[in-house]
Amino acid sequence: MIQVSHLTKKYGQTTAVDDISFQVQQGEIVGYLGPNGAGKSTTLKMLVGLLQPTSGEISVAGYDSQTELLELKRHIGYVPEEAQLYEHLTLVEHLQLIGRLYHLEERLIAQKITELAQLFDMASQANQRISGFSQGMRQKCIIMSALMHNPDVLFLDEPFTNLDVGTVTLMKALLQRLADLGKTILYCTHILEVAETLCPRIMIINAGKLIADAPVEELRQQTNQTALNEIFTQLTDTTGIDEKTEEAIRIVMEGTPDA
Amino acid sequence: MLETSNSKFSACKLRQKVVERFCDAPTQYRHLLRTEKLVEKRALEGKNDLSNMSFALTCVAGFIMSVLFTFMPFLLSMDTFTFSLIGITMSMMMIGFWMIPYFDILLIPVNYPIIAHTPVSSRTYFLVKLTRILTYTVLLLGSLNLMPAIGGIWVHKGEFSLFRLLFPIAYLPIVFMSGFFTIGVMTMFAGYLTKLYSKRTLRNIAQYAQFIFPAFFPVTLILLSRLLPDISKDNLLSSLKWFYALPNGWFAGTVSLALGKIEWHFLILAGLATISTLILVLVPLRSIAKSYAEYLSYLLESGSRQKSKIRVKTPLLAKLFRNRTIRAGLCLSFTYIRRDKHLLRQFFASLGSVIMLVVILNQDQAWVLHSFATGLSPGFSMIFYFVGITIVSSFILPIRYSEHWKASWMLRLAPLSTTHNLWRGVQAAAFLYFVVPCTLLLFCVATISWGTLGILYVLPGLIILLNYVILFPKPVSGLPLAEEFVQSQMAGETLIPFLASLFSIGIFVGIQFVTYLLNIWVYYGFYCVMVVGGLISFIHFLQKSRRIEETVDA
Repeated sequence: MIQVSHLTKKYGQTTAVDDISFQVQQGEIVGYLGPNGAGKSTTLKMLVGLLQPTSGEISVAGYDSQTELLELKRHIGYVPEEAQLYEHLTLVEHLQLIGRLYHLEERLIAQKITELAQLFDMASQANQRISGFSQGMRQKCIIMSALMHNPDVLFLDEPFTNLDVGTVTLMKALLQRLADLGKTILYCTHILEVAETLCPRIMIINAGKLIADAPVEELRQQTNQTALNEIFTQLTDTTGIDEKTEEAIRIVMEGTPDA
Repeated sequence: MLETSNSKFSACKLRQKVVERFCDAPTQYRHLLRTEKLVEKRALEGKNDLSNMSFALTCVAGFIMSVLFTFMPFLLSMDTFTFSLIGITMSMMMIGFWMIPYFDILLIPVNYPIIAHTPVSSRTYFLVKLTRILTYTVLLLGSLNLMPAIGGIWVHKGEFSLFRLLFPIAYLPIVFMSGFFTIGVMTMFAGYLTKLYSKRTLRNIAQYAQFIFPAFFPVTLILLSRLLPDISKDNLLSSLKWFYALPNGWFAGTVSLALGKIEWHFLILAGLATISTLILVLVPLRSIAKSYAEYLSYLLESGSRQKSKIRVKTPLLAKLFRNRTIRAGLCLSFTYIRRDKHLLRQFFASLGSVIMLVVILNQDQAWVLHSFATGLSPGFSMIFYFVGITIVSSFILPIRYSEHWKASWMLRLAPLSTTHNLWRGVQAAAFLYFVVPCTLLLFCVATISWGTLGILYVLPGLIILLNYVILFPKPVSGLPLAEEFVQSQMAGETLIPFLASLFSIGIFVGIQFVTYLLNIWVYYGFYCVMVVGGLISFIHFLQKSRRIEETVDA
């Protein structure tokens, strides 16, 4: 369902994504992990067509990103890292906009808005402006937009940020059911607990390079570690935590601001 | 070299003293100001050259206007007071107009949440914002007044030649003071608006009320035009009392006094200028500076959280368009027309300009009679062009910018082969919410004067507006609300196309008037060509844009 071959993204002299290749099959949920600035969000932006790759090939839902980008976009849903929205719109107006951009019937748009708003406990705020929403409500707004047009592939970049426990539980179950129904999900996060419970397969990116791509069990055997956070620490070489903590304490305690 | 560095040193010292006098934390002030400038500079990086040059181009436009004004003393015999009065009025008016968009620096401080929790006082932050506005003001004032200051030396009525040579030294500081006074009054007004913001019911009135600025100065011009006959009859002194009520008169009187004209009237005018400027700085501006943080905190508050029932509805007019992408563009634009402060402010400023035009034109009875003459005269069409283009521009120019420009990722992600239809939605909004009401309003006026023939007076204006909307260039991205709002960029980008459209309309109207005065049948011929040609052009471009859509769909 997702095929990535030798994907590279360069910003001048900096290489954000360095020659990565992978495949995700239909109905799979894959966790895409990495430290801050590793290239996770850049990869996702290239996969959904928001960024042009420097080189490499992308195919999603059978459509090539270079030649059939439009068809590709029709089959995907995307939850970006930052919930940037048109804040003067209400939730209803926002979802109507999305529905129209995906050429859904007006009747269907109205029906989906009502049902999704009720599902995510947003019915009573549906006609309020997004500018007044909390971060969690904005995130729900983005998730609803990604699900509006029944996409075949979902790209989720830190989708549970700011969500309450109830919604996170609902989302986990929902993603699992969607995968059972044949939807493909690429789940990008640095919250390892969620990735561990939701994703049977994990990919780890560090400094733009794909350094691991295997089922969680296989990773455990490879690294002789049981917990995913230990596997992650070992693979991304984020060691020396104790020394760093002491150093941080020393910096914080140093001096006080002038009155 | 040494002199330059000395003068720079003393200018810095003077600024430092002013800052220390008015600001309680000069170091914080300096760092914040430097950061604000850096942020604006970086926001402009990567934009096209025209965007980066737009403020410079505004200054060039001001300079060209001032050159034209400078030649007045060579053509007309006038005294120092009249020359200064016209120069100062022009300067105050231009500053008033051009600085309106820059007041967003004060009224919509998007970066405030970043420093809201730090120990920066309200006064310091206010002063940072005011300094940024004043920086632009100084540059504009310089471009507007440098040439008139030199030209004033040749004013040759009633002054000793020695004093005439001192004109630039007297005029320049005073005209700068008048500019600061204008900004002070505008800040005071904006500052009191910020106080109204805290009262929820007055919030909307506050943001709409800015159109009063452009409408304020015409009163001065009208009074000036009424006094001109007295001035030309060497009866200046008797009419000076009128200027006690006008700030531009106060500053012009100060120039005359500085040039050695010791008269009671000039003394009073100079006194009024000095006292009012001092009071302005010491009383209202200080008070606004104190409560500025309160206003900013209010802005950070989220809106109403009252629960309501879910309602999904589509605006009635949007149902006219079957294409869903056009409908999406139309609905997005329509919502922003009603709710976005930038768009509303631009619209009401344009409305103010239109009111100003109508007031000025009504003063000239002969012109009005001429424009409302029988025989399909071109005067009414000219009013329609100006009103229509001003009002439509107030929407179609700023719709490309938004505070929420980062949300345009949704439009980029959507499966649209071209953004053409989204922009057609914007054009549809311009047509439905601006062109149609404008046409209907002017059609009503025309009908009152000429009955059913009124339609013939309105037709050319309508056709011009339709062509203006369809031919108006799309933003580079092709998307509405997708560009970051940067004051200096937007002010220039809105001014240049607006002046260009006024210039082309000026030529157009000129041809109409020439043909009208030459021979009425030639004019009728031109009228027919204009209407039919305009209609054909509109249909052609409409078909062309539909063809693009069909090709894309195929």
